[in-house]
Amino acid sequence: MANWDLEALKASLRQQTEVKDWVVVQDSVRRCERYFLSESGNLATDQDRDSRQLSVSARIFVKLAGKLGRQGEIQKRFIQSRPLEPQVRAAVESALLTDHQAWSLPAKPASPLPELQSFDPAIAEDIHGAMNKLTGKIHQALAQTSGAQFNSSELFVSLHERELHYSTGFVHRAKQTRVYGEAAFSAQGRGISDEYLETRWSVMGDDLPIAEIFTEASKRAQMMLEVKKPATANLAVLVDSEVLLTLFNGHLSQLSGANRYHDLPHLKLGEPLIPSAYGDLITLSLDPSLEGGADTVAVSGDGTPQMKRVLVKENCVVDLMLDQQHAQYLGEKASVCRGSVVVEPGTRSKAELLSAAPRVLEILQFSGLFADEHSGTFSSEIRLAILHDRETGTSTPIKGGSLSGSINENFRGLGLSKEVVKRSHFESGSPAGSGYHGPAWALLSDVSITG
Amino acid sequence: MDLDQRAGFSSDLQPLRSFLPTLLPVLGKKGDWYPSIWFERKSNRSMSVNLKQTQVSDSFSSGVVLRIYDGYTLHEQASDDLEPSRLRQLAEEFAARVQGAKIHAQAISRPYPCPSWRERLKQVTEKEILDQIGSLPAANQEVHFGVRFQKDPRGLTVEEATVELKALLKRILAIASEEGLPAQELSYALARYSLAEEESLFIDSSVNISQTLLRVAVTLVTMSGANRSIHRVGGLGGVESLAVHDSEILEMISDLKALKNAQRLAPGKYRVLFGPELSGVIAHEAFGHAQEGDTCARGRSRAWELHQSGEKVGNQNATIVNNPAIFKNADRNHAAWGSYYFDEEGWFSSEQVLLKEGVLQSPMTNLTSALRLGVPRTSNGKRETWANGVYTRQTNTYFSPGPYTLADLMKKLGDGFVATQAAGGMEDPKGMGIQVGLGWLREVKDGALTGRVFRGAAGGDIQLTGYVPDVLNSIVAKSKIEAESEAPDTARFPLNDSGGCGKYHKEFVNAGCGGPWMLLENVTLG
Repeated sequence: MANWDLEALKASLRQQTEVKDWVVVQDSVRRCERYFLSESGNLATDQDRDSRQLSVSARIFVKLAGKLGRQGEIQKRFIQSRPLEPQVRAAVESALLTDHQAWSLPAKPASPLPELQSFDPAIAEDIHGAMNKLTGKIHQALAQTSGAQFNSSELFVSLHERELHYSTGFVHRAKQTRVYGEAAFSAQGRGISDEYLETRWSVMGDDLPIAEIFTEASKRAQMMLEVKKPATANLAVLVDSEVLLTLFNGHLSQLSGANRYHDLPHLKLGEPLIPSAYGDLITLSLDPSLEGGADTVAVSGDGTPQMKRVLVKENCVVDLMLDQQHAQYLGEKASVCRGSVVVEPGTRSKAELLSAAPRVLEILQFSGLFADEHSGTFSSEIRLAILHDRETGTSTPIKGGSLSGSINENFRGLGLSKEVVKRSHFESGSPAGSGYHGPAWALLSDVSITG
Repeated sequence: MDLDQRAGFSSDLQPLRSFLPTLLPVLGKKGDWYPSIWFERKSNRSMSVNLKQTQVSDSFSSGVVLRIYDGYTLHEQASDDLEPSRLRQLAEEFAARVQGAKIHAQAISRPYPCPSWRERLKQVTEKEILDQIGSLPAANQEVHFGVRFQKDPRGLTVEEATVELKALLKRILAIASEEGLPAQELSYALARYSLAEEESLFIDSSVNISQTLLRVAVTLVTMSGANRSIHRVGGLGGVESLAVHDSEILEMISDLKALKNAQRLAPGKYRVLFGPELSGVIAHEAFGHAQEGDTCARGRSRAWELHQSGEKVGNQNATIVNNPAIFKNADRNHAAWGSYYFDEEGWFSSEQVLLKEGVLQSPMTNLTSALRLGVPRTSNGKRETWANGVYTRQTNTYFSPGPYTLADLMKKLGDGFVATQAAGGMEDPKGMGIQVGLGWLREVKDGALTGRVFRGAAGGDIQLTGYVPDVLNSIVAKSKIEAESEAPDTARFPLNDSGGCGKYHKEFVNAGCGGPWMLLENVTLG
């Protein structure tokens, strides 16, 4: 039973003499999930679940007596079934034991914030109805997909509502919807059996291409029966938007104020994003207003209005991601720190990129792409790829072996496709998603492949 | 060290514990349904000190999962609103929804009668579990299980922890300086302490069981430019689990120094001695994930077919065990990271051999996969949080130990590499591929370390890849549990380090990661 409400928490924080500033956050999450599998050729539901969650947390900043230019801080979840005052006092006492360079929340925005398309109204209105509609699409997609054997599918739909209350008097409310779909198909023949799992996230229900997920998983499962192992070589490699989402979102940390403050690897204004680049030059923005983007937000957690900013123009760093705290530490003005990565498209089609080198390895799926945001290196086993050989005119399915790459080295001769796509990715428990809007494919040069 | 205390069940949860069984008649309104309830409460505190800041954060999550298995589908309704009248209303609405759910005309019914205490204890051999039960309990008798400890981590104040962490950071800086890594080259250093108190309840018409786990860890991170070296200690237990020795810091700093001059490995096949953490990742990705019953039930694992055919998939060294009942981690005074007394569907923990000398055994299961496959239930029903769905998941997965000391294995290695730092991994249960990430390799010539360190072809992690049976047939030798001693092992289980696990690309849970040292030949690295 709730012992107190947000207003009581805010009032209590105002009364604490040591408290300098605070941000109170209330999150409400509603999730529906269905797990399907094949049972005697029919679509059976193995699990069907619904969950509801409401949580209150606060970031509290306190003054440290006798420490000029320093302040304390705590991030704390408050429990509404427990008395409020002891929780607030415990939080303040703990915050007093921490030690940060001082900074202040920004003033309340002077003008109203824009209305953003960050959620699917149909899901927000009736999550069960949306779930049933998408389930219907799965039945339809399964009926229309032939070739490989259907194994399983998962469908998640969630609505995330967030209220942010700042000690400056500013209050902001936002919604986001998240949709996840996957399909696994397998194929067997000539003593081999293998499968392909296709997964996809989106913000809008209609942006989840269920039919495409099913047909692609089925087609690629059949392709798995034709695969060969790659030979060890350095090759031109074509990667898709899923890979680009991971690599660009990770590499952005090198443009962040936090990395600069902590002396972690970072780039300075005027430096090249890719050293010695000679291919398509990257122009990259962070866009918090992208319609249906995975990180479409009007304000950052610290209360700074967010607007699209170009961070890299033709491979030159022209702006940094500066959240309020680190901007003040570095003596700079806060800029954008949230949003989807937007990369300007190139001029060549996918077909032109594939013919840009004598042999191009087109990655259809990595097994587990691990990228190190500090070094810009990345590597993975190859789950499925196609080796396009211009001289022989052949396209050979490939599986196995691994790829080792580096943004600093293998993006030098970059080729960006003119076709563009929008992709989203969410980690459960994370308030922000990773978004990407840009070239559907990119050609990397001289990448190490191990067979 | 005498671990003389046990984590009890919080008294403020007792009213909820008494109330929840009253919902079972609502959830079991149709006689052939199997109703059950899962509740969990996790309180986490994290404190860290780096070169510029001292930080603290407290998080908390608690929720109840109402469950109805109707013979076809496991239905779950989860909520963090624990007010009794609203929970009752939610249970009634939920039961009505399940009653109205469409069942496909060709659907196969697999009813599940609630198992008795006696049936649940059939596979349990671990004294640590049996001692806390005592004589066979009556149905609905409340039974609690708590992790053992000497010094209660919940009593550690923010002030005390901060002092400890600052001292640890000072030791890192001092050792770095002594080792010739000056302050300007140590660009980042961090010491973090974390405690999670995890309390859970499982209730059905036979049992009302609770457990309290105390999960503690200290993580140290040092960086020089983009090079990073990490050390982590921890387990389920008390503050005594968190001792960090100077030798461990020294090794972390030595690694960081060596990484600054790392060479790039030419892709190829190598002879490699894997440390415990990495042998654990190999076990986990090889026939850990592939032996998850829900993956088998979905038709997504070759292991199920190979188990039925009995075909060999590894040599005599290829024995893999999953064990959530490790309450003494090697020779340490704490339980292993992936341990618990019962899983999130109320099934008691026991050791299970997944692969025996290259031959696949029955898979791990959660409730619905056991029913679909027609195999015994095991204690592997786990979920990321109460708000997530339950899957078959691994706990502590490792290779069985062998007869050799570490010195023996270095001699057998001759020329090759030693790998101790894990950098992720990925399963391929149907295709039987494997990916294991290695942070870096130490070169060995004539059985001795040369001091040279290698990274991947592009300067990052190195990936071990291959066909699982080929990898498992290439195991040359394994170490004993206490690998540095020639005396017979006194520990029963190999060290399982603290790790995490995703199922494909999501659903992250805690998992132990360890095992013996293991020498493999002809390993493909790139």
